Amino acid sequence: MFIEYSEEQTMLHDSADKYLRENYSFENRQVTVKQSRGFNAEQWQMFADLGWLAMTFDEDAGGFGGGALETMILCEQFGKYLVLEPYLESVVLVGGLIQAGGQSAIKEHYLAGLMAGELQGALAYLEEGNVANPHYVTTKAESTGEDYVLNGSKTVVLNGPEANLFLVSARVGDNSAQSKEGISLFAVDKNTPGLSCNNYKTYDGRSACELQLDNVALGADALVGELGNAAEIAAPIFSRAIVAVCAEAVGAMDALLAATVEYTKQRKQFGQSISSFQVLRHRMVDMYMEIELARSLLMATAWKLDNGSEDAPQCVAALKAKVGKAGRYVSHNAIQLHGGIGTTDEFSVGHYFKRLAAIGVMFGSRDSHLSRYVQA
Amino acid sequence: MDDSTFRIQVQTFLAESLTPKMKRAGMLMTSVFADFEMGLAWHKILHRKGWIAPDWPEEYGGTGWSLNQRYIFQEECKLANAPAVFALGLQMLGPMLIRYGTQEQKDFYLPRILSGEDSWCQGYSEPGAGSDLASLTTAAVLDGNDYVINGSKIWTSYAQYSNKIFCLVRTSKEGKPQAGISFILVDMDSAGLSVKPIDGLDGTVEQCQVFFDDVRVPAANIVGGENKGWDVAKYLLEFERGGHNYTIDHKKQMAKINRQIDSQSSAGNLLSRDNPVFMAKFADVAVDALALEFTELRVKGAFEAGGNAGALSSLSKVMGTEIGQRLSELSLELMAEHALVKQLDALEPEFEGDIIGPECGLTTMAEYINGRASTIYGGSAEIQRDIIAKRVLRL
Repeated sequence: MFIEYSEEQTMLHDSADKYLRENYSFENRQVTVKQSRGFNAEQWQMFADLGWLAMTFDEDAGGFGGGALETMILCEQFGKYLVLEPYLESVVLVGGLIQAGGQSAIKEHYLAGLMAGELQGALAYLEEGNVANPHYVTTKAESTGEDYVLNGSKTVVLNGPEANLFLVSARVGDNSAQSKEGISLFAVDKNTPGLSCNNYKTYDGRSACELQLDNVALGADALVGELGNAAEIAAPIFSRAIVAVCAEAVGAMDALLAATVEYTKQRKQFGQSISSFQVLRHRMVDMYMEIELARSLLMATAWKLDNGSEDAPQCVAALKAKVGKAGRYVSHNAIQLHGGIGTTDEFSVGHYFKRLAAIGVMFGSRDSHLSRYVQA
Repeated sequence: MDDSTFRIQVQTFLAESLTPKMKRAGMLMTSVFADFEMGLAWHKILHRKGWIAPDWPEEYGGTGWSLNQRYIFQEECKLANAPAVFALGLQMLGPMLIRYGTQEQKDFYLPRILSGEDSWCQGYSEPGAGSDLASLTTAAVLDGNDYVINGSKIWTSYAQYSNKIFCLVRTSKEGKPQAGISFILVDMDSAGLSVKPIDGLDGTVEQCQVFFDDVRVPAANIVGGENKGWDVAKYLLEFERGGHNYTIDHKKQMAKINRQIDSQSSAGNLLSRDNPVFMAKFADVAVDALALEFTELRVKGAFEAGGNAGALSSLSKVMGTEIGQRLSELSLELMAEHALVKQLDALEPEFEGDIIGPECGLTTMAEYINGRASTIYGGSAEIQRDIIAKRVLRL
């Protein structure tokens, strides 16, 4: 299986690379990081205008009908240029879930706004007590006739501070806290009474919040997908999210290797470029090999997801596990070979490293995916 | 006094003297440095007790303890979460002055190092001279009774809190680079000296760049004689490598990992203790940490026998820092998304508010980030391997 990219896919890759290279400088990115908002609204609007935000939505919803491959293509560039804007949170997670499970009213209400760059979303699913398990849900949704009342707390809600719309996982009924069954997904507008956010920044330059739900009253129309079946709807969306962050990781690793090769060539110690030392040359080659293996798994996984291959879930696990390892190896050695300057805020190396660290812990660590892989 | 009685004495002193805020400062350390103010407060308490310089000869203010007692003291301080004393003056300059200083220099500087009145930072590395320190170019030119210094030093930890700096400077360009280096003591408030803090990746400032623009320093501030700085520095580097005991830090890290495992709910899939993949990885590092613990005992034995542990010290530094990094990676995996939360105010010793996520995960990401530097400073892992290659394997 060798992927032959379509003309549109090639164009998407080239135009994304070109746009970001010319318009998304590291210096400006750093200015955005230090601001309280943490993302650049003009850039986000540009992404909308370029059609990126609509790329993966169904054509009949006004999207371009792209799949995992398109997600991969875009996210690789986002990783390469350290893009901060919440494509993962708003488009891949919230948009994806609404498209997959949303009743038509919800789709109508939100998808167009998401695609146009007018709406932001955040998926609130993690809870204190067991962040490693997305099925650990104690947030309760009491059904009162047709309506629901939600109570509970969610932790590390990425993009929470910017979200106009939260998708919140909650339990209706009596299943135990870690049961896969019985989880439901609710669309909650940020202005709903009873919702409160404690906002903060994350180490990789983004923003998140702790979300508190106190007697949040919702109509029946807030339900996304089937009652009690959210885990099943969410599974392919999480697979897509893993492709997204792993593609970001590959883009980031490419940038790190290029920077490291460049730096070691011009850095002289002991009368020569440090790139002439065999230990460092081999280290960079090892970095290259890890990246290429990760890239191969990434391409295969995206293709298999788009083509409904039976072993796609296994590949997703393998991909996340591999990126966990490669991301660490490449980012650690990029810093090591840059020496002291690699540990400073000023150089981009450290910021790629932090993003790769974040990707490593999101959606399950390497070990959880390795376990998943051998058990499949 | 036997060791167990001594240990109890130390534990009693620590329990009576460490304030809750100091202990918090110790617990919240995300690198080898503690909150400066808390470290200094602890320094003064130790000084009053007469325990500030266990490694110094007794006649200069040392404690007269055996090597074992010094290890016990270090261990108990860490177990009690004492904040690290900012120790460049105590651990580096002090022993160096004792060995190479004039009587005037010893009489003037040693008491001030002991009391904490002087805080010394270290001016060695330069933007162009890292691993190849001998290639340094910050120059000191003799002009009457003064040296005039021009150039810049970088990676000067805590220069923003220090009132003094000891530097390696170039006083001659003749012959081998090492042969033209001098060791000199400089006041941080000298005219022409400026400090630029360097923002770290974890959001805090530990490192600085120091600029020398025609800075005048009395010639009497040279230590060990002109152009003898490299010998002085080499002596100090041995001290720097030989002194660090990584085992206690590893034990604290592993205890924390166990707390982090426990902090996960017993509900849910694949609690790490039941995940054979994770436990195998943990066991792998733990075994290496145990092997290093016994290696450090061998190093201690060599010092006790009056020798120096040579390449085993380099091995300790390489393995000690690499094991520390591997342990920080395990913590990162365990904390999952909680590790992303940046709550810098919660890392201050006086913070009393609510924290997000479990307390045992508060320092995880910062420790992981800062840990990357441990294989770079004090002789990078690659340099250490070269030293072992040359000295042990005679390659």
